[in-house]
Amino acid sequence: MLQLRRTLALLKGETGNQLARTGSSLPFLDSANNSSGLVLQSQSTDVYQNLALEDWIDAHVDLQQRGILLLWRNQPAVVIGRHQNPWSECNLPAMRKMGIALARRRSGGGTVFHDHGNLNLTFFASKKAYDRKRNLKVVTEALRRLRPNLDVRATDRFDILLNGHYKISGTASRLSRKSSYHHCTLLHSADRSALSTVLRPSCPGILSNATPSVPSPVANLIDHAPSLAWEELLEALVQQYNTEFGLSSVFTLVDPSSECVFPGVGNISTELRSWDWTFGRTPKFRVETLLELRDEHLPARCSAQLQMEVKGGQVESCRLDVPAGWLPLWLSRQLSDVLVGERFCPHRAAAAVTAMLRAEKGQFHSRLNNLCEAVLAMMG
Amino acid sequence: MAAYALLRSMSSSFSSVLPLLSRSGSLSPAPLAVKTLFRRTLASSSRFSAALKFTDKHEWVRVEDDGIGTVGISNFAQEALGDVVYCGLPEVGTQLAQQDEFGALESVKAASELYSPLTGEVVEVNSLLADKPGLVNKSCYKDGWLMKMTIAKPAELDSLMDEAAYERYIRSIED
Repeated sequence: MLQLRRTLALLKGETGNQLARTGSSLPFLDSANNSSGLVLQSQSTDVYQNLALEDWIDAHVDLQQRGILLLWRNQPAVVIGRHQNPWSECNLPAMRKMGIALARRRSGGGTVFHDHGNLNLTFFASKKAYDRKRNLKVVTEALRRLRPNLDVRATDRFDILLNGHYKISGTASRLSRKSSYHHCTLLHSADRSALSTVLRPSCPGILSNATPSVPSPVANLIDHAPSLAWEELLEALVQQYNTEFGLSSVFTLVDPSSECVFPGVGNISTELRSWDWTFGRTPKFRVETLLELRDEHLPARCSAQLQMEVKGGQVESCRLDVPAGWLPLWLSRQLSDVLVGERFCPHRAAAAVTAMLRAEKGQFHSRLNNLCEAVLAMMG
Repeated sequence: MAAYALLRSMSSSFSSVLPLLSRSGSLSPAPLAVKTLFRRTLASSSRFSAALKFTDKHEWVRVEDDGIGTVGISNFAQEALGDVVYCGLPEVGTQLAQQDEFGALESVKAASELYSPLTGEVVEVNSLLADKPGLVNKSCYKDGWLMKMTIAKPAELDSLMDEAAYERYIRSIED
């Protein structure tokens, strides 16, 4: 309860006097508001809860007079930018196998991999005070103080590079009514093998105007500074945040799932978890690819050409050009028709084609099955 | 701080909070003369229908001859954004209340939310922007329009700024 009241009070920017009345004693709260900052650390490692917390703070907390720094990390997850295409950015089947979540954030930018070895920093500020360069200076200066021989530099794209070559941090931001947030990743000790496995396209042949990622070679901080501990890093960042912005910050842990402290945050995380947001918000795209067809009775392989338009994550049109001798035209047309209106999703598509496969008991069953499998595999 | 106190007395629904937070004193009323002219305009001449009205979020709306509102962002906004690389726009048929978020423009600077200047239904979205998002920068008042919507509550236009008032508003925030 004390933690709860304290967090509420801090978000409201209450002074020490008011808190004394409620019974909490927080001597480190500065009564002169201008020099008091707020640093929050999320207790959750659920990517949707943490993203929801960001949006909640942006919408509900007055950021005109002072900013907030939020520190957070997630269980393994791939996070795509607001206007990206998950099928072209990440390996959805591999992620399903590895239990890695997919989230679409509300800020722009490219795709990143989060896990316990990756630290996320969110700098909340008014629109006027929005300054990514200054925020990244907090990170680079903190790192330089910790390990003076580390070559870390922010680029024009607001990446942070180690030794001028390895990306250790990427940036994205969102501007809303009156406020802004700029968040960035920081690779301390992430699983690089998992990262490279999942940051690959699921589906070949995608034509789209969705914002693309710029792939970069990455490195972990511990690869070049093996003794750098997580806690040490966090402490240095908080200290540098205070130095850079001339603040004496209050630090507090927050539970992003708390409806008491953050009323309505549950609705935000529910929306972020939804298929409609994660996949349905994908900009309209086209798939043009060749499907490899196999038949155990034929020595030669052949291929079918697939052209699909996907809007709002659903198949809007589908055209399958299958060699005439391999499968009758009416069957491949029927398959196309069945797919139209379905989600661009192997599970949904499988359910849709099941009835069709069951009905086709004749000589074309196994070929039709093969074609269906090829289509489903293409969907990720 | 007042905004937060306001929050405490409201329900915990996220979507209900936003419009209330920003409605307090942020929209300036149009002079009486413009109000009277507007009512005549819809029925008769198109002399004033090309006039732009602006929100404090730098969106503009232009009432066309058929009573549909064309919506875009101002020159001030497009300059502040930098090169637009993607326009996230709503589906035709979307119902919007005044000040609802209706999409976002992504630029090198950030993803910037877009807020509906009026209450109405989206009837058309600028399909040119899919391949040429830069039109928003190059021609923000003409070819770079974002969407068209019905005007369910014409009185809302009175609460928006005319060009002169908007110019004054920009000057005041630049200081």
